[in-house]
Amino acid sequence: MTAPFFVLLAAEVPESGGMLGGLLKTFGVHWSLFISQLISFLVVCVVLKKFAYGPVLEMLDKRRARIADGEAKLEEIEKKLADSEREKDALLEKANLDAKRLITEAKDSATALSEQKANEATSQAQIILAKAQEAARAERNSMAAELKQEFGRLVVATTSQVTGKTLDEHDQKRINEEAVLSINN
Amino acid sequence: MTSVSMAASGHDHLPASAEEVFRFGSFVITNSMIMVWIVAALLIIVAQLATKNISLVPKGFQNFIEWIVESLLDFLGGILGEKLARRTFWFFATIFIMILASNWMGLFPGVGTIGWALSGEAVDPHDTFRPFLRGGNADLNMTGAMAIAFAMLWFYWSITETSLKDFGAHIFAPKGDFKGVMLIGMIVIFFVVGLIEVFSIALRPVALMFRLYGNVYAGENMLESIMNIVPIAGLKWLAALPFYFLELLVGLIQALVFTLLCAVFLKLMCDHDDHDEEHAH
Repeated sequence: MTAPFFVLLAAEVPESGGMLGGLLKTFGVHWSLFISQLISFLVVCVVLKKFAYGPVLEMLDKRRARIADGEAKLEEIEKKLADSEREKDALLEKANLDAKRLITEAKDSATALSEQKANEATSQAQIILAKAQEAARAERNSMAAELKQEFGRLVVATTSQVTGKTLDEHDQKRINEEAVLSINN
Repeated sequence: MTSVSMAASGHDHLPASAEEVFRFGSFVITNSMIMVWIVAALLIIVAQLATKNISLVPKGFQNFIEWIVESLLDFLGGILGEKLARRTFWFFATIFIMILASNWMGLFPGVGTIGWALSGEAVDPHDTFRPFLRGGNADLNMTGAMAIAFAMLWFYWSITETSLKDFGAHIFAPKGDFKGVMLIGMIVIFFVVGLIEVFSIALRPVALMFRLYGNVYAGENMLESIMNIVPIAGLKWLAALPFYFLELLVGLIQALVFTLLCAVFLKLMCDHDDHDEEHAH
């Protein structure tokens, strides 16, 4: 069976060498073993520092920096996006106002133009109408003149035939004037 | 030398010290040293594999190693502060990983149970079995090496983080604003307190090395004793099985305790300077 540990300790303590010497011997502490273990431990420290902690911490720092940089850029992008949204809204609003103003102006312009064109058309029509009336009047006058001449000539011819004499120029003129005068009356 | 298992040979207790396996002249190779070399080699291989093709976008094994490193850095940063944690990370991280790996690998089947039978008149009749491997921290040389290494580094870091004057003042100078006779009294009192502090500082590595060694040795001894209770060789492992889970936990706790205490000891000395910095800000 397992012997109690303190019995073992007591059994292994040497008679000489003092308490500390006995303690170190009991636990097998020896300079060469101690230094060997110390070297092993320090070698692991150095190797892990060089091949594990160094690269891993460097990578973690790099990643942290990248994430922070990305976050900063994201914030900047979001800010720019917000600015852009604001600018877009402002531009849209301005464009809307401009468009409304243009439409209003166009409407006003169209109304004015329409009125102007209508007035012009009315004027033209009046001019045309006046010209037509003038032409009609001239035509009527011309026709009346022709009619008078024809009527005079017919009166002269009739008179000549009725009277059986040849009317001279003076008679013809007189008869014509009388006939025209009677027509006019 | 015949290779046998513990069960087949006389081994009724776990020796308090690591035992000789080879000898090159006067240099002895112990079973604990072999175990430490195996652990060291394993850690180095793991570190190499994890960082061989290290990339900004982690994958596979790199993820696991980064998780360990980042968790340890956060843990130490919480105690020491970011700057000091980064400066001392190589030591504290190695202490933690090395202790944890040694403790857990010491639980592997075959460690402490495969070896050879001793014979001859000089052999202790209670210990006729010599295992090839022994838990790395079940050797006071190993725990002592780590504790003494920390003690040396503690002096170096404490002095370089503060100054030699601040270092001495932190231990011996009176704390508080005293004048006249009160000041003289306080100088005497704090000098005595400083001497006690020096004694406490001197005892820290001893406490660290014995605490770790004691816990690991006790665990291995317990497992071996539990296995010895079962008379049927093929079922010895079954009795010890619940205690293996306990020892897994103890292995982790001891690694944490050793690392945490070392970090706290360092912080206690460097804390003074931090307060000054805070006041300066």
